[in-house]
Amino acid sequence: MSVVVSVEDLEQRIGSKVVLDRVSFEVSEGECFGVFGPKGCGKSTLLHILAGIDRFKKGKVRICDLDIGKTEKYRASLGLVTQRPSLFRDLRVGENLDFIAALKDVGRENVLAVVDRFCLEDFLDKPLTALYAGEFQRLSMACAMLNDPKVLILDEPISRLDLESSRVILREIKDFLSGGGACVWAFSGGVGLFQHMDRVAWLEGGGITIYSPQEAGREWDRQVEALSLESGVGDV
Amino acid sequence: MKVVLGMFRQLRRIMGREFLYLWRDSGLRRILLLASLLGLFLFFGIYSTQVLKDIPTAVVDLDGSAASGELVRSLGAAENLKITSYPDNYDDLQEMVKRGETVVGVVIPENFGKNTALGRQTNILVAVDTSNMVYATNAGGAVLTTARTMGAKAGVKTLIAKGVHPLEAAEAFQGVNFHEQAWFNPTLNYAHFMVLGLALNIWQQCCTLTAAANVVGERKMSSWHQVKASGVSKLRFFLGKSAVHIFVFMALVLPIFALAFGPMGLPLKSDPMMLLAFTLVFALSLHGLGTMMSSIAKDAVDAARFGMIIALPSFVISGYTWPLEAMPGILQKLAWLLPQTWFFQGINYLTFKNPGWGYMSQYFYALLIIALICYGVSTAVVSRY
Repeated sequence: MSVVVSVEDLEQRIGSKVVLDRVSFEVSEGECFGVFGPKGCGKSTLLHILAGIDRFKKGKVRICDLDIGKTEKYRASLGLVTQRPSLFRDLRVGENLDFIAALKDVGRENVLAVVDRFCLEDFLDKPLTALYAGEFQRLSMACAMLNDPKVLILDEPISRLDLESSRVILREIKDFLSGGGACVWAFSGGVGLFQHMDRVAWLEGGGITIYSPQEAGREWDRQVEALSLESGVGDV
Repeated sequence: MKVVLGMFRQLRRIMGREFLYLWRDSGLRRILLLASLLGLFLFFGIYSTQVLKDIPTAVVDLDGSAASGELVRSLGAAENLKITSYPDNYDDLQEMVKRGETVVGVVIPENFGKNTALGRQTNILVAVDTSNMVYATNAGGAVLTTARTMGAKAGVKTLIAKGVHPLEAAEAFQGVNFHEQAWFNPTLNYAHFMVLGLALNIWQQCCTLTAAANVVGERKMSSWHQVKASGVSKLRFFLGKSAVHIFVFMALVLPIFALAFGPMGLPLKSDPMMLLAFTLVFALSLHGLGTMMSSIAKDAVDAARFGMIIALPSFVISGYTWPLEAMPGILQKLAWLLPQTWFFQGINYLTFKNPGWGYMSQYFYALLIIALICYGVSTAVVSRY
């Protein structure tokens, strides 16, 4: 499996605060790389750097063998779902798909394909404000998949969604990975999600520690237990 | 070829989305569609009477003679004056002017009839309330015309009383004949001078504020993440948006021109195509200025502030209503940095004088240079996002 995402000694500061401190990792084809950590630990910052939204101070990031500091061509291989809704609020569902397809310079056939895969036929004329969270997130995923990306960057894609939407999104992620895509998936809750990851990175204090899903589960249990003892609710 | 077609397809979609965005924002849509037109009708209604008529005039006749009565009748018959009251004395007149009940006050002194009959000099006080400059100018002009005529009549009478032949007496007051010719706006028509300028001022303000949202309106929305992640060229993205803005600006100004030069009968001396070309170049420079402000603004509120700071006073300092030459030197230099100054000066030339391409070319070039500089700065700033 060849490396699709390569991060080396990445450093990012926001003001005087070091958010990412010499972070390094690689993600290979077909791999789902989870980024886990408490709120505000820098997960979104890391994902925004990978998506080319934010610039970074130091380090090297390569996506599909392209240095993202030197070229923008790698963006054609990306799909992005942000934590905060980032679709075009002034456009309806179908218009969002059409417009983002145009931005990504892909044809109508790609739009029709994702509408089918993410079960969006009934919502195409709806404004975004009329969508439930699950429907909105299916649309976000559909927009991210429009260009048949090689790398999916997902920030909390299935937090607090209805079961059907979660099922559709997880199915599509699985298909994407089995097709050789690579996924970087940030989440802050729901340890049950570990089962969908190949590796999980714990991000805290600017540093990163990489675990297997099983180790991550054990580490999570250990931390919960420690926290319970600290707060005096461990005996309950 | 495929790349070029893809580029045009992208541009078309970006432009389509911008049209939708402008249309679906009902507040913006109403302002853009209605503000300039409402302004045009409003200002035309205000200024279409051309000159102020029936200026309220009060006469204090302290003489009460036949001669003073004749003078009062002459004042009453004057074209733009209307005698509305006859206060008893100067103090009452002063109070009336203070309260705004009259604009012009005339005081005919005691012994007016006797002095004129004896050929002695007599002084008539004519007071004009100059607190409203426009009213004062018109009132002053009306009073001056009446006073000049009456003064000449009194002079002729005095000479006749001294034994001069009536014809010789009349000729004595016509020795130097000033032949007045008012060019370009011979009837001193306020509507011709002000209406189009004021309506275009509202139009340019709307355009500036729209352009001021061009970059920051996207950059500060979360959807900017999608734009960046998509890999679309930022230049192409803003080119598409800007093309729609320029198209909309021109579409908004067309009905203003059509109404102004059609049913409203405002003058247009130049070729309409030159006027449109000039307006297009101005729309480009104005949009460039707005886009530049938008690219350096921290947020939409900041951009709106920049837009207001530029758009609101620009008409006043453009020299359209008050001569640039009468402004402080530093302000004159600053004024020429703004596209509005070139535009409003140029509009005045095109509508009243038609000086031809040889003269107008400098206005075209100046606006194009402003547009190039502003778009250049915007591109440099946006490329860093």
